[in-house]
Amino acid sequence: MLAIVSDAFGGRGGIAQYNRDFLGALTETGAVSRITVVPRHAPDEVVLPEGIEQTRPRSNRIIYSVAAIRTALLSHVDVVFCGHLYMAPLAALIKRLKRAKLIVQTHGIEAWPRPSKVQRAAVESADLVLCVSRHTRAAVLSWAAIEPERVLVLPNTVREAFTPGDRAAKRASLGMEGRHVLLSVGRMDSGQRYKGQDRVIAVIPDLIEKGYDVHYLIVGEGDDRARLEALARDNNVNERVHFLGPIGLASLVETYRAADLFALPSTGEGFGIAFLEAMASGTPALGLAITGAVDALADGELGTVVSKSDLVATIAHLLSQPKPDPIALATAVRSRFGRKQFAAGADAVLNRLAEPS
Amino acid sequence: MCGINGIFAYHSASSAPKETELVTTREAMRVRGPDGLGTWWSVDRRCGLGHRRLSIIDLSDRASQPMTSEDHRFVVVFNGEIYNYPQLRTELENDGVRFRTTSDTEALLHLYAHHGAEMVHRLRGMFAFAIWDEVRRGLFLARDPYGIKPLYTATDGWTFRFASQVKALLAGGPVSRDPEPAGIVGFHLFGSVPEPFTLYRDIRSLPAGHTQWVDGAGPREPKAFFNLAEVLAKGVAQPVPLAEVSERVHAGVLDSVRAHLLADVEVGIFLSAGIDSGALLGMMRDAGQHEISAVTLAFEEFRGTPEDEAPLAAKVSKQYGARHIVRRLSEREFIADLPAIVEAMDQPSIDGVNTWFVSKAAKEAGLKVAISGLGGDELFGGYPSFSDLPRWRRRFGAFAAIPGLGSVARRVIGALAPGISYTSPKVLGILEYSGSWAGTYMLRRGLFLPHELPHVMDPELAREGMRRLKPLSRVAAHLKPELKSNNTRVCVLESAQYMRNQLLRDADWAGMAHSVEIRVPLVDSKLLRTLAPVIPVLGPGVGKTALARSPAVPLREETVIRTKTGFGVPTSAWMDAFATRATHSTIREPDNKGLVSRRWSRIVLNGPGLTQNQLESGAS
Repeated sequence: MLAIVSDAFGGRGGIAQYNRDFLGALTETGAVSRITVVPRHAPDEVVLPEGIEQTRPRSNRIIYSVAAIRTALLSHVDVVFCGHLYMAPLAALIKRLKRAKLIVQTHGIEAWPRPSKVQRAAVESADLVLCVSRHTRAAVLSWAAIEPERVLVLPNTVREAFTPGDRAAKRASLGMEGRHVLLSVGRMDSGQRYKGQDRVIAVIPDLIEKGYDVHYLIVGEGDDRARLEALARDNNVNERVHFLGPIGLASLVETYRAADLFALPSTGEGFGIAFLEAMASGTPALGLAITGAVDALADGELGTVVSKSDLVATIAHLLSQPKPDPIALATAVRSRFGRKQFAAGADAVLNRLAEPS
Repeated sequence: MCGINGIFAYHSASSAPKETELVTTREAMRVRGPDGLGTWWSVDRRCGLGHRRLSIIDLSDRASQPMTSEDHRFVVVFNGEIYNYPQLRTELENDGVRFRTTSDTEALLHLYAHHGAEMVHRLRGMFAFAIWDEVRRGLFLARDPYGIKPLYTATDGWTFRFASQVKALLAGGPVSRDPEPAGIVGFHLFGSVPEPFTLYRDIRSLPAGHTQWVDGAGPREPKAFFNLAEVLAKGVAQPVPLAEVSERVHAGVLDSVRAHLLADVEVGIFLSAGIDSGALLGMMRDAGQHEISAVTLAFEEFRGTPEDEAPLAAKVSKQYGARHIVRRLSEREFIADLPAIVEAMDQPSIDGVNTWFVSKAAKEAGLKVAISGLGGDELFGGYPSFSDLPRWRRRFGAFAAIPGLGSVARRVIGALAPGISYTSPKVLGILEYSGSWAGTYMLRRGLFLPHELPHVMDPELAREGMRRLKPLSRVAAHLKPELKSNNTRVCVLESAQYMRNQLLRDADWAGMAHSVEIRVPLVDSKLLRTLAPVIPVLGPGVGKTALARSPAVPLREETVIRTKTGFGVPTSAWMDAFATRATHSTIREPDNKGLVSRRWSRIVLNGPGLTQNQLESGAS
């Protein structure tokens, strides 16, 4: 398999994580004997599982394309995996050159509007299109003339590190004992203000008025932080909104456990892996009843899905309830989105490719 | 004939299906099966099946559905009839199978257990069914070769659903109503929604003559097990002399009629004054049925005029000793029933009104099952298209093959004589579309032509719909493998397009709305195989004449001659009058049939959106 990806091993963010999970699962299950990953970026240390090799990153688009084609021509390629819609035309070209099968992976907002004709044609030439959520699948089918049976959902999975555990120490270190703690984890990007931290900040005064001693933790980084800080000041809740910045994995797990409610009323989640991380850490999660968040929250069966207008009342209601059994919640999350289920899904994808058409 | 549905949460991330959804979808099909109902759930409740029953074979409760195999491995829900059930049962019993019922449904369970997906090749009949395999944890779906019975599916990437009707799937709740541009454009091009599309993006029709498998890895692409062109191509390769036509027609039709009489309730017939239904009535007698109710739809305003079919139908009925029931329809009743007709249409169709009323009459006469002559024109070359298409291809095909000429000619003629695009819009397309059989067929049968779409619907929707539908290549695909005779080409095109997407769909919704099963002996894969060698040599009128002479007592010459001149139906004029009033049009519109259909299409497309005001305006 040749993997045409923006980033995977040594990469950052959700897409890199998904690529690592997917490619790793294929080698773990033995579905693929060897994978050559061709990344554009790999800023962090590269740790490769057995059976996977990765070429050095090339960020320049033209140099990257030439390198990818060269790698393809010099290798035996049965399957091309394309990790991002923007790279689908290149992957489709390699598919033709090598007469290989093509899998195109789609994530979130990049696949929702109609793409360029070249990208669309590349997707329509794919043997399988993978989507992280039903919402993204519906979006792909709205612009691609492709048989619906070839467009599959393989949702994100949650890493084993996210488990329930002690929360008192972290709450104490954050000074949150006896308080109602809301948490969001996500980028603060001024170009894509969809994550919804601003919506949570805006409802804090109402929650206080209802008698809740609410504090809001925001994990993540980005150039929209200043606007959110200003918004907190404007709402006179700047002392209750705590920007924790980017934090390491261990601290992230503890922070998830420490919160009473994970709230991310985002309007643009391709899936929303942070919902899974929160619930796998034993903390209930809330999101809007739109886009991929509905999948991560399992239509409201794992977490809570809500309309924008019901945000205050629902958060107040959830804060008034005792925190649900963390072990039961984490188990329920893993039964749907655990690594075992993800690996079985990845294996099924490869089996689908091998079936006679 | 029944209503079937199911929900399968195949993805490990999906929630278990809800009982309320399964029941709501099933109950949206209540009229399809008023005699019984049932649901079944797998032990883990990941798969649920629903059934509404119209009892026709084995009326006992033993034959209720969903039906489970004795070892509990397989569960089936089935809509339709397996006409060769007695032979299949004998074969299975010879193989040691023990039957618990006398129902054809049980045969499906045993056949699947013995032959797997290959079982469909053994079936003769009209069917749409789903079988759950508890061991393989998957669903097997199949639909009959011609697509007589409907089967719609929907998947959102987590959960697979199916039902006999589009509206039933929507009634369940979770299925998206997002529009499918290909289905909407298809309706405008053909007057019915071409499979596999529906008006909704997430709902597809399992194509006729296809099976589909769904398991934990999701639904697979449907697989074809029957191809009309292939059957006819094989027939062409084994030609028979013209002298054998009559014998083939007689033997083939008699065999099909005999098979279609399999029932534990009375089988009646829709009798017009035409050759097809008259001959079928005669063959019913030949097949040994003596008590036959024949229902004729006639029109009040034609009473006593040469247009009235009833007197001639009465003679045919008397000739074969049937109990004749004439049901007179008035414009008043037509208008009164219109809201119910539009409501009953599962997908919009510009036809089906006559089938609604004759089914209503059959129901009033106490019939559950009626034979129809549907399919005779496709099989025996009864449509003008059998002569029009070859003629248009001969006359204009060479010009149309010149790239760009047709489109230029259309623009020039349209500019020089703009009235033509109003009175005879298809004339403008003749040089553009007659370059291929698919194009010529679209020209002949089309409601609107592609270049007209931007004027009757959102231009962007039209463009996207054309891109997704690819109408010319989709129609052309029916003609593979290549056919060498004009008759076979037109037979395939009419059967795979007009009959499948319009006539059979209309027969389904209009019949089912009155809980009447319509059986079509002339739409039968075994009959097609029998007649395939003679279809290429059927000159104009030859096939119909052979059919008329097929009964032991042939149809009278008077019937054959009178039928050739045809009968009118006033429903077209009623539709036009209604459409004009409902839209408050004050313009005197051209009233040729094609243009009336265009106006009527606006009414049926708006279907449930018809306001009370529009209905009242149309009725007043």
